[in-house]
Amino acid sequence: MTVKTLTKESIPIAYPILGAIALFGAALAIVRLTQGLGPTTNLSNYNPWGLWITFDLSIIPLSGGAFTLAGVVYILNRKDYRSIAHLALLAGYLGYIMAVLVLLLDINRWDQFYSVILPWRWNLHSFMFEVSLSITLYFGVMTLELVPIVFGRRNWRVVRAIDQFVPLIAGVGVLLSTIHQGSLGGLFLVMSRKLHPLWWSPIIHLFFFISAVIGGLSAAVLIAILSWRALHKRVPIWLLSVLAKVVATVMALYLVLKLGDLLVAGKLGLVFGSGVYSLLYLVELSVGVLVPLAIFASRARDTEKGLLAGATCAVVGLLLNRAAITWLALRVTPGVTYFPSWIEISISISAICAGVLIFALGLHYLPTVRASVEEGR
Amino acid sequence: MAKYGMLIDSTLCIGCRGCSVACKQWNDLPATKTRNTGTYQNPPALSAYTWTNIEYREVEASDRLVWAFLKRACMHCEHPACVSVCPVQALHKLETGPVVYEANRCIGCRYCMMACPFGIPKVDLNQVLPVISKCNFCADRVSNGLPPACAKTCPPGAIRFGERDQLVVEAEARIAKNPGKYVNHVYGKEEVGGTSILYLSAIPFDQLGLPDVGTESVPALSDAMAVVGTPTALVTVAAALMGAFWVSRRRVELASQQQTADLFSRRRAELADQQQTADQEKEAKQ
Repeated sequence: MTVKTLTKESIPIAYPILGAIALFGAALAIVRLTQGLGPTTNLSNYNPWGLWITFDLSIIPLSGGAFTLAGVVYILNRKDYRSIAHLALLAGYLGYIMAVLVLLLDINRWDQFYSVILPWRWNLHSFMFEVSLSITLYFGVMTLELVPIVFGRRNWRVVRAIDQFVPLIAGVGVLLSTIHQGSLGGLFLVMSRKLHPLWWSPIIHLFFFISAVIGGLSAAVLIAILSWRALHKRVPIWLLSVLAKVVATVMALYLVLKLGDLLVAGKLGLVFGSGVYSLLYLVELSVGVLVPLAIFASRARDTEKGLLAGATCAVVGLLLNRAAITWLALRVTPGVTYFPSWIEISISISAICAGVLIFALGLHYLPTVRASVEEGR
Repeated sequence: MAKYGMLIDSTLCIGCRGCSVACKQWNDLPATKTRNTGTYQNPPALSAYTWTNIEYREVEASDRLVWAFLKRACMHCEHPACVSVCPVQALHKLETGPVVYEANRCIGCRYCMMACPFGIPKVDLNQVLPVISKCNFCADRVSNGLPPACAKTCPPGAIRFGERDQLVVEAEARIAKNPGKYVNHVYGKEEVGGTSILYLSAIPFDQLGLPDVGTESVPALSDAMAVVGTPTALVTVAAALMGAFWVSRRRVELASQQQTADLFSRRRAELADQQQTADQEKEAKQ
């Protein structure tokens, strides 16, 4: 059955291409590890964080569909969302793997990364500590959540044992995600004089968490539509439409908080008065919030086109937001600008290609995922 | 324990770079290859191998050009952002004042470099496994009762080592004793909540090369959010999750109870029906 679908579609051509790009990225990773960051990246003492930080801080919130949908299915007991949750979990897991692999290339003492699991070294005052430990632990949680999905067809004792505790595991996953999605924003609390005031806020951690829910669910809607299409099944619009409605509600909250925050800080004037930054901010806000909010709050969310358009906008908006905060609107050293090297760009692209390839293979070959998609209509 | 500091009187500095050389000697730092860029300033900037450096500026003062020399190095903040943000406690603030670094804990996230308001921590990215490096206030010398190498060597005595509190008094006395000589401000007394290194200057501090960083502790907000905000969020979300789980379970339970009840009442009705039919049949027979 699986082989038939594979040969029928154009995907088989894409597979080796994606695989080749992924292998090229792996080769570049070896170059990075043996040559150091200096020769391979455009990072410097004046701009210590670059594209790989932008990559990580985008991929992790876009993988946020994994914790939100696990919460919906296992905590809120909405079993009808099981199929979408399976897809979001698989994609999210791969997203986190890629983010952590890129992170390990980015840090200059990856050989000492084990420091973050030694309790006597923990610095509870540091958001970077919260991020590192929480993501490491969440990896374990996601693995446990995925075991019944990947091996669900085999009646192993381990699988049944995990299945029993899935609500607890999912709950821990939601907790850990709340922490690190927010803490990723908390990283910028110390940079009030480096990050442009349109983006810096004393509640930036809250914005990161809320936008991770928006971006994560939107990415999950996109992934779901593409997966159902790839398997030539009817897309379950009625399920996705409810998710879109939820996203619209969260977006409205996000918008009110964002504008309220600017108002309280007396920074509303900056929205139009900061030149190119105003432009970036307004594009981010319109593409990422206003347009998808208009689509998701209307009946347009009941169509596949509407869902696709709204979710794509929300995902692009999240990317713009994270790019602004980690790069475009962040000035670490006055007068110093940064543009990533071709190796930084290539490794980022190949990490995405590797993720897409493994996801596509998983969709075709993991019986539980495939079955849940096929039955999930 | 006494809290030490250094008072750097930039009006006394002659730009000889003796501090920079002494620093390299004491800390075993190699010389770096540099290029002539048309200025006396050399090495051009702080780096992984240059922990203190003299910056040369020509500034207009009372209708003539004067040299302004800034001895740049780690400020050893009272509330250091680098220490607060380091995930693995690789950076410490010693009770005596120095902010020091332990390389064998470092994961190399470079968050200290991003957080520092003065751009002090440096790294040699051309190494395969580089460490962060910066001035450590010669913590080894200070803990043995010696002044840091730079202060010890400074020929014109522009760098004064001592207890920070006394240095603040001394700096303010110098300003009071020499009216018109200094800008009426001790940089570092209140900057970012206070720093161990204090500066006196004849020209405005931004012209000397020291940034306006405000008087608030840089990591205060982030620190409070991490220590208080995170546990609060954890407890709130955990409670919300348990509540949501209980409600959804109850909903499912109630639904299934309703189904069972419906089933029972239907069965009872059926039984009653059967009974009635049986009774009617019995009556008919009689």
